[in-house]
Amino acid sequence: MSLSADPVTLAVLENRFRAIVEEMGEALLRTATSQILNSSRDFSIALCDARARLVAQADHIPVHVGAMPFAAQAVLDAFGATIRPGECYLLNDPWHGGSHLPDLTIVLPVFDDMSGQPDPGPRAAASDHRGAALHFLCVVRAHQSDIGGATHGGYNPSAFEIWQEGIRIPPIRLGEGGTLREDLVAMLALNTRIARDFRGDLMAMWGAARLGAKRLEELIAAHGAAKLDVAVDAILDLAETHARRIIGAWADGEYQGEAVLDDDGHGATDIAIRARVTKRGGTIAVDLSESAPQVRGFVNSSWPNTVSAARMALAYLLDPEVAKNDGAFRPLSVTAPEGSIVRPREGAAVTLCTSHPSNEIVEAIVKALAPACPDRVMGGWGRRFRVAIQGRDPRRGRGFVWHLFHARPGGGGHAKGDGWSTAGEWHSAGGLKFGSVEMAEARFPLFFRRHEFRPGSAGDGTHRGGLGAELELAIETEGEARANTAGDGARHGAAGMAGGQDGAPHHYVLRHADGTERVLKTKETGIALQPGDVLVVQSGGGGGWGPPEKRDPAARAADATEGLV
Amino acid sequence: MQGPYRIGVDVGGTFTDVVCIGADGTTLLAKAATTPQDQSQGVLDGLARLAEMLGLPLAALLAETERLVHGTTVATNALLERRTAKVALLTTEGHRDVVEMREGLKPERYDLRLPPPPPLVPRRLRLPLKERLRADGRVETALDAASLDAAIAKLRAEGVEAVAVCLLHAWRDPRHERQAGKALRAALPDAYVTLSSDVLPQIKEFERFSTTAVNAAVGPIVSRYLGRLQSRLQEAGFRGPLFVILSHGGVAPVEEAQRLAAGTALSGPAGGVAAALALARAGLGENLVTFDVGGTSTDVALVAGGEATLGRGRSVGGERIALESLDIVTLGAGGGSLAHLDAGGLLRVGPRSAGAVPGPACYGAGGTEPAVTDANLVLGYLDAERFLGGRRRLDRAAAEQAVARLAGKLGLTVMDCAAGIHQLANVAMAEGIRVATVRRGVDPRGFTLLAFGGAAGLHASAVARDLGMARVAVPLLAAGLSAWGMLQTDLRYEVARSLADSAGLPEEARLRNLFAALEAEARARLSAWMPGTPEIRRGADMRYGEQVFEISVPLDGVEWSALGLPERVAEAFHQRHEALFTYALRGEEVVLVTARVAAVGRLPARPARPLPDGAAAKPLGTRRALVAGGMRDLPVHTFTDLAPDQIVAGPAIVESDTTTVLLLPDDSARLDRRGWLDVTVGRETV
Repeated sequence: MSLSADPVTLAVLENRFRAIVEEMGEALLRTATSQILNSSRDFSIALCDARARLVAQADHIPVHVGAMPFAAQAVLDAFGATIRPGECYLLNDPWHGGSHLPDLTIVLPVFDDMSGQPDPGPRAAASDHRGAALHFLCVVRAHQSDIGGATHGGYNPSAFEIWQEGIRIPPIRLGEGGTLREDLVAMLALNTRIARDFRGDLMAMWGAARLGAKRLEELIAAHGAAKLDVAVDAILDLAETHARRIIGAWADGEYQGEAVLDDDGHGATDIAIRARVTKRGGTIAVDLSESAPQVRGFVNSSWPNTVSAARMALAYLLDPEVAKNDGAFRPLSVTAPEGSIVRPREGAAVTLCTSHPSNEIVEAIVKALAPACPDRVMGGWGRRFRVAIQGRDPRRGRGFVWHLFHARPGGGGHAKGDGWSTAGEWHSAGGLKFGSVEMAEARFPLFFRRHEFRPGSAGDGTHRGGLGAELELAIETEGEARANTAGDGARHGAAGMAGGQDGAPHHYVLRHADGTERVLKTKETGIALQPGDVLVVQSGGGGGWGPPEKRDPAARAADATEGLV
Repeated sequence: MQGPYRIGVDVGGTFTDVVCIGADGTTLLAKAATTPQDQSQGVLDGLARLAEMLGLPLAALLAETERLVHGTTVATNALLERRTAKVALLTTEGHRDVVEMREGLKPERYDLRLPPPPPLVPRRLRLPLKERLRADGRVETALDAASLDAAIAKLRAEGVEAVAVCLLHAWRDPRHERQAGKALRAALPDAYVTLSSDVLPQIKEFERFSTTAVNAAVGPIVSRYLGRLQSRLQEAGFRGPLFVILSHGGVAPVEEAQRLAAGTALSGPAGGVAAALALARAGLGENLVTFDVGGTSTDVALVAGGEATLGRGRSVGGERIALESLDIVTLGAGGGSLAHLDAGGLLRVGPRSAGAVPGPACYGAGGTEPAVTDANLVLGYLDAERFLGGRRRLDRAAAEQAVARLAGKLGLTVMDCAAGIHQLANVAMAEGIRVATVRRGVDPRGFTLLAFGGAAGLHASAVARDLGMARVAVPLLAAGLSAWGMLQTDLRYEVARSLADSAGLPEEARLRNLFAALEAEARARLSAWMPGTPEIRRGADMRYGEQVFEISVPLDGVEWSALGLPERVAEAFHQRHEALFTYALRGEEVVLVTARVAAVGRLPARPARPLPDGAAAKPLGTRRALVAGGMRDLPVHTFTDLAPDQIVAGPAIVESDTTTVLLLPDDSARLDRRGWLDVTVGRETV
């Protein structure tokens, strides 16, 4: 029997892999217990092959798109031939396959015979480079509500080294024989503030990974593992061809783009991310070495995160139909020197990196490529400015941690139309859900007085950006609560592109019951919130695309009647 | 055929199909052209045609009709073509962008050049009411009469046709919504007023508001249409109940469809799925892909293990409708789809359609662009004289001219161009089936392609080959199968109640009372629709304490009478959770969020009569057609002349008055006595 798959089988398998990761994601969304996962979908699911190559990834959070294979590779590096069926691996450390500490990642191996032990003997000799009968790795990454460290909620703007940011976990064997090691789970749970959420989410992650493994076992039973391996090669090659064909049509050249962070919270301001992008034929080389050096605060980007951000930029510029797998990213190379803000030395504080400088890395690359493919680039998407509140709920008599996902910023305008309002940042692009206000009020001591579009926040352009939002959130905790902020973009808004204007930056205010108020900074810890205090949030708008004077007068008039300007 | 009759009416984009089942189980199909400006005219035309076929005056036929079931695309078309009513939305002050914010989500994650859709209700018509409830139902701010008056004045000035009232936490306590609704109905007696607490009394404002906004947007259109249809039927002599098939595949009286117009969004294609389920029960097989090719569009749905998939995450025309509905994929390719050249000079088919008027060029009603049906006529697959039993003669010259015009631009012969159009239609249809199967991770090769609708028979074999499907079934009643399916399904009323406290599981007595109250409501509703005792189906949306998403847990298998009900309900949830997500947390708190009861009123079915034995029939003649790249004389069989178990080898044509089946080389078809042509598909791609 020939091992090569016919075109129908190939198409079925390509879609089957995608359907499996989508199903895993749906399972995680529906079973997770913390608000950040079950309401806001801050997680990603990927399927890698035994060489840690990305085979399929669910359309959740684009910032994770290129980072997951690092996790799979880290597990292979640490455990290699000792990996057994029924095991479960866990990691979060950015120098060991992670992106930042709050993102816990489970890696579950899938063998062609899950019941037995891998046979390193004749199979290894007869088989190819893969050695054992490991075929796939299910990768489930989920942002934890809390990961220990100096402050609640995972983000510590005061940190200047990673040990202040939370517990570091290199690849560990969390489970074997189909069960999790309770001693390890207990140790990890003890290091987080809401152990109950941690355990619930970990079960949900493990459940999602096992669901994926189950589906892959069914697939292996139906097609045979060897045939699947061949199909994976073909699927990756097809995506590479597809991506190179698109890139080949862009104008060759060496281009530059820059995007700027407000600050690191420790005194460094206007921190530049600079991309020098060389496009030749079907290849793109991104050189980030002119970016600012490593900083003290937590806006350094771990290397997996930097690579992932560059891949995200490429994914946005390609056609959306291109499969997001290892093949599609083969045309792209990324370089940066160690000690740079985009490749810090081990031990640097990095927690904000999946938001910032991820957004700036994407924007710098997109900006650089604007002359090469002007109709493909889009205005900047909004920045992230999060608030995490820790307090006690008087109705339930217990503690809680809540993360602000409401008041999403606007998306960028583009050649085909205006930007999406309240659809989020570059790194999420309409993939983060802010969740139901009714649900939030029912479950947390919070009261949403107002949550609407923010008129006038969009960057002007031939096609304007999307609008940000206004939020007035009253605190109704039992006694004093505390808040941290973590974000950027209060001074630098989302960039206009191809002649469009920048979107309005964020503006967050804390208003006390006596009417006094102060502007919140993007990187603060230990903000005291009294019952009756109100957070008054104005989130940034998206960048415009094309010169504003070319905007259709009818569209301008409609913006006025609709109350958007 | 003897009365009393039951009649199913399916209004498609091109034809209105009317199927009548007599007391002895015999069926009859009549077709009339759809009348898009007022679909009820086409329905009456179809009924008149049926009466003519039965040799009865229309009034006599209708007087002897005990039930009429209708599938309508009025709501669907309005949403897809964005020709909805002028709608306003009254909402809690400070929250007027809920429906346009879509919870921050945007479809097509990696398509950042996708323009946002215009909102169903423009922002200037989303008006604030000064009022506020708390999550537990307490009144934070009482409804301010002045803000309501101001909104009403604005609505009057704007001349809106419908108003959706969508207030925060109204699922918990509908008092402000009802107060506003009452004032609106008094002030704007002609407007369609709908409350979120009536449409979907469940927590989570986006789903509830969006569904209510859709209900308002299609409500006036659906109400007017059904009202008009009902009075026309009454004028024509119909005295029985008129039912409408809803998106979930069950039927309900007209008044219910008018109240919950958003529930008719998939009314049209639901009949086809109901038919597939009936055929699965009749022995066709448990795993079917429905392939309903009409004039304008093709609908595809899955029946797996004898069950159709239901969900509450449906969007139509980009608008979220969180009511229970069948999982149906619709694509814009059908017999009326027009072929054209795109900007780059490539030949394309659809999504534009010739529709009912003017129809394909060969209808001779003024169409000049070539439709798929024109290509099929040019290729020799259709008989110009026998189309619709000879009632509509096709104009072959007009079809050839239309194709020739396009062929000229491409430098092709007329025949090659027609073959290209036919093939592109096949590719588009196969892609639609891939969306419904492969993209959902289902391998279609284990399924039978159930081909129906007037135009499916000419494409089914080629599409099946493309997908590697080995079996095609074409019912005798293919051209009216959806209308027939509407007579095979039951009355269904769904009622749900979210629990106020959402903590834990109610104790024994409260749990029983909760379901008993819903059952009483459902029974009362159903007994108003039909006599007899309805069947009660129970279910619940449940989750673990800290989860946010509930899962649907069917409770039909749970022993209801003995003590210990909460424990058994909890165990049903654990088992379902384990089956879906690989694990259960038996020590964790279990929360029942929404209790659901469906009352199902069995409408007695009339089993189809098996076909009588007969002698194998010879082909009627031959027809010269293009098959596998060459012109060949294909034997032409008449569907109704075939004897049960008679085998027809491809290439051949099997046709009836209303449908034509093209068998390709190596296909082998056998007439099953239960009423379908069972085709074993050849392997070669042709």
